[in-house]
Amino acid sequence: MRALAADLTGAGHIASARGLVKVYGKGETAVRALDGVDVDFARGELTAIMGPSGSGKSTLMHCMAGLDTPTSGTVLVGGEDVGRMNQRALTKLRRTRLGFVFQAFNLIPTLTAEENITLPLDIARASVDREWFDLVVDAVGLRDRLDHRPNELSGGQQQRVACARALVSRPAVVFADEPTGNLDSRSSGEVLGFLRRSVDDLAQSVVMVTHDPTAASYAHRVLFLADGRLVGELEAPTPETVLEALRAYSPAGRPAGQHAAQVRA
Amino acid sequence: MGRVALRGIRAHLVRFLLSVLAVALGVAFVAGTFSLRTMLSSTFNSIVETTMLGDAYARGALEDGAEGPSVAEGGDVGGARERIPLTLVEELEAVDGVATVVPDIAGQVVLVGADGTAVINTQAPSFGMAYDPDDPTMVLSDGRAPATAGEVALETVTMESAGLAIGDSTTVIVGGALVPVEVVGEISGSGPLAGATITTFDEQTALEVFAPDGKTATIAVYAEDGVDQAELVDAIESVAAADDAEVLTGDLMREEASASIEEALGFVETFLLVFAAISLFVGAFIIANTFTMSVRQRMRELALLRAVGASPTQVFASVLIQAAVVGVLGSLAGVAGGLGLVSLLRVVFEQMGMDLTGSIPLDGFTVVVSVLIGTVVSVVAAALPARRAALVPPVEAMRDDVADVEHSLRTRAVVGLLLLVLGGATVAFTALAPDSITWVADNAGVMLGVGAGAVVIGMLAIAPVIARTTLRIMAAPFVAGLKPIGTLARGNVTRNPRRTASTAGALMIGMALVGAASVLAASTQASTATIVEDEFTGDLIVQSATYAIPQEAIDTMADVDGVGSADAIAFASVRIAAEGEEPASDYVIGVETVAFDRALNVTVVDGDLASLDSGEAAVKRADAENRDWQVGDELTVSLDGASVTVPIGAIIDTRALGSPVILPMDVYERVVPATASTVDTVIIEAADGVAVADLQADLTETVKPYVILSVMDQEAFASTLADQVDQVLTILYALLGLSIVIAVLGIVNTLALSVIERTREIGLLRAVGLGRLQLAGTVTIESVLTAVFGTVTGVLVGVGLASALPAVYADEGLTALVIPWASLGWMLALAVVVGMLAAVWPAVRAARLPVLEAVSYE
Repeated sequence: MRALAADLTGAGHIASARGLVKVYGKGETAVRALDGVDVDFARGELTAIMGPSGSGKSTLMHCMAGLDTPTSGTVLVGGEDVGRMNQRALTKLRRTRLGFVFQAFNLIPTLTAEENITLPLDIARASVDREWFDLVVDAVGLRDRLDHRPNELSGGQQQRVACARALVSRPAVVFADEPTGNLDSRSSGEVLGFLRRSVDDLAQSVVMVTHDPTAASYAHRVLFLADGRLVGELEAPTPETVLEALRAYSPAGRPAGQHAAQVRA
Repeated sequence: MGRVALRGIRAHLVRFLLSVLAVALGVAFVAGTFSLRTMLSSTFNSIVETTMLGDAYARGALEDGAEGPSVAEGGDVGGARERIPLTLVEELEAVDGVATVVPDIAGQVVLVGADGTAVINTQAPSFGMAYDPDDPTMVLSDGRAPATAGEVALETVTMESAGLAIGDSTTVIVGGALVPVEVVGEISGSGPLAGATITTFDEQTALEVFAPDGKTATIAVYAEDGVDQAELVDAIESVAAADDAEVLTGDLMREEASASIEEALGFVETFLLVFAAISLFVGAFIIANTFTMSVRQRMRELALLRAVGASPTQVFASVLIQAAVVGVLGSLAGVAGGLGLVSLLRVVFEQMGMDLTGSIPLDGFTVVVSVLIGTVVSVVAAALPARRAALVPPVEAMRDDVADVEHSLRTRAVVGLLLLVLGGATVAFTALAPDSITWVADNAGVMLGVGAGAVVIGMLAIAPVIARTTLRIMAAPFVAGLKPIGTLARGNVTRNPRRTASTAGALMIGMALVGAASVLAASTQASTATIVEDEFTGDLIVQSATYAIPQEAIDTMADVDGVGSADAIAFASVRIAAEGEEPASDYVIGVETVAFDRALNVTVVDGDLASLDSGEAAVKRADAENRDWQVGDELTVSLDGASVTVPIGAIIDTRALGSPVILPMDVYERVVPATASTVDTVIIEAADGVAVADLQADLTETVKPYVILSVMDQEAFASTLADQVDQVLTILYALLGLSIVIAVLGIVNTLALSVIERTREIGLLRAVGLGRLQLAGTVTIESVLTAVFGTVTGVLVGVGLASALPAVYADEGLTALVIPWASLGWMLALAVVVGMLAAVWPAVRAARLPVLEAVSYE
């Protein structure tokens, strides 16, 4: 298993998929959300996944993160075959090797910011590495907010707490699903800036699904999906190059970013 | 709007399921009570119909003045009437138009069955009567009629439950003596007799033992063909009047009998309905909770309805329609359940030998009233959430997040605290008020009731206010021991204290009642133990399973070697009046005055017990105070025309003797004939130098043929009395059990609904790695915390209130206050178990939520 993983991913890849297919429904109503995707996510990079609604970008991330089971194909995360894991192993994987940031509802309302951040460690009954914790908390700039409940925090602060929570267990990879989808541009900038810094300064790996070209421009690399296939990628993106690429890759030639964002593929 | 409401129910049926079930259980209790009553009353009425066939009845006139004791007070219809001479029978037979005359010659007997034990059928009576070939209610179906003193004929069901057959020999205890008899015949009644044991004797024997005074209570008269009831009454009226007897038609007599049966059943019904009401009240909490949560969850939908033009009234109505649907569905299921319950009871009664009528009655009244009750309870319970729904501002529809507005709990805190303090003060005042404030003593029951009600409602009101702090303390061990699920669970139960408190409130009510009952029971047991210890100074106490000790057995015991003395305590229902008082029905005790020297220890408050030797009476202090009797006042005790007037010689404090007036035996016997007297206790003193244990063994052997008697030392006697309390307690627990079951359903309901409400949160927790077991553990801890909170507050209220009772009811014999810590500990353990059980389904549901769907749940 390990040997195969090494073979498939190579040293530089933190997560990979080969021949990934996800079909929803059966018979005539079947939808191929993913139609044979081969992808590698690099260690120590912030990767953005873009694409119009229904392109399969969220499905790809869910399959990579073990939240959804692919119909066929292989998913490797941190050298482990996610597709072959049972629920118990997946749960363990999620709490030890993965970090999550969702678009909304990221925090448990009854816990303080600090308790929310250490939640994965508490669940795993692991001790908190205070040094790392301090590093992460200072990076998100929430030192003075640790005792607050989520409803006492602004939307941007809540997302930053979620980012800190995702990083606190030093996961192999952080998956972020539209992390700035509900935020204004200033808060978005803070969150994205932090995600980028966590890669550059803290040597983490982040995969982010987004429809926002500005958000995508924070990434090292942008992958473009359309109709369940990987249609292109862009290194060192800027908002302009991303918009351009989106126009080129979307079927009707209109920017996907202006489409209703909350519909999931 | 109606359509929206109905669709809402259909779409979320499972969310309303437990509410429907809660209504169903409460209504089942109500419907079951109604149909049980109907079934019992039709059974007893058919007994009346088949055993009272006379066209006219002659009976004695009412005794002086007042009306007779009601059935509920333990009297029977004939009890307050003079008896009439049996010579009237012959005079009536001579009247034109009279076909047959059958006097009622009957009394209590004990029949010994084939297995050597008394035939006792739960609560059904066992009586003997004269076999009269002319009596149409008795048909000899097999064998022959009893002809001599040693022969009996048994009723069919009696024969069966006794395990006897024609030709068998057995014994009966009749007229205070043990009589060997042979079963010679079988009598068929014409309908179910509810398990009554019936033994018939030849007329001569029956007359000797049941009517030694030549008198009877009633005489049934049958008319010749063509003579109707009114004509018959006219014909015999003058004859009967000569013997001071009054005559009434058979129909009227049957109506009277039915009426007294209905009255007795009415008490049973009311008693059961109280518990049904408690169950429904508890059920209302579930409904209120369900609708509160449903409204909260549908906030956006309701706001949208308001935005598109629905008026607040329409929104209000739409929620009430949903509640009404829940109520009607639950009620219908409840009516069905109630019938099932009664069918089950009937089978159980049948197993115990109590034949009840064949069909389970389902009348329109039961259905309509049950459905109405269930629906009204649902609608009323949903009124507050409906109001909240109606007040949703339309802008909520535009909001992204549903604001979780928490209304201030200040009003609740103030009102709750006020009620708690006022109620507690009322109860405390009632308990501690000096005897000199008589209005307190006179209204103690009402004051306790009002005070207790205020405390319970106050506690319910204040529960959400204290919930947060209390739950935090109770959750501390979980938070410390089970990271992180203890913290998560604590957060969940404290985030909406109203919800947790009202969920726990349902359990609180049941637990308060159970707690109060257990304190009352333990205190009663301790009190009786003290009474036995303090007042029964004899060595051994003899009592009977039928509450009557045969005279022959008393004589036999007195003759046993080693018996120093045997003192019988006899009682009878008589009429008592002081000078200037109307005679009132009451009990009188007759006892040999020497018993006060050796067997009984009573406290003399005023006067002197020695006065009883000269034929004076002793009265109990409480009654003397109530009726303003003084030493030296004259009391007239009368029964059946006989009467005696005695001065009060002593006022005594006693709890062992249960009647207001105690007469020396020789005076007692001047008023009470042997047939009207019952000896319920004999106190035995061992002769000097005789070991009590040996004497007990000897006496036990001696009374063995009297299968109903038991010889007990003080300890055994006290524990017998304690067992009786326990039996009552068991029945109470069983009746309260349903309300606790409903309360547990309430916990299940709240947990299940809050799991749905928290779907996204659960998805998130699972996404960041919370295992299924950990999630189930969180739900379980929430459940246990809720159950323990309800139990602790309930027990506090119940025990606190019950603790006031001994101070108030010391005169009634409740002298000791005992708090049964062990039982309370078990209740707490039960709460933990109940909490864990309640969590099973919601926990499984939560654990089975698919992570991805949960995360993206809207």
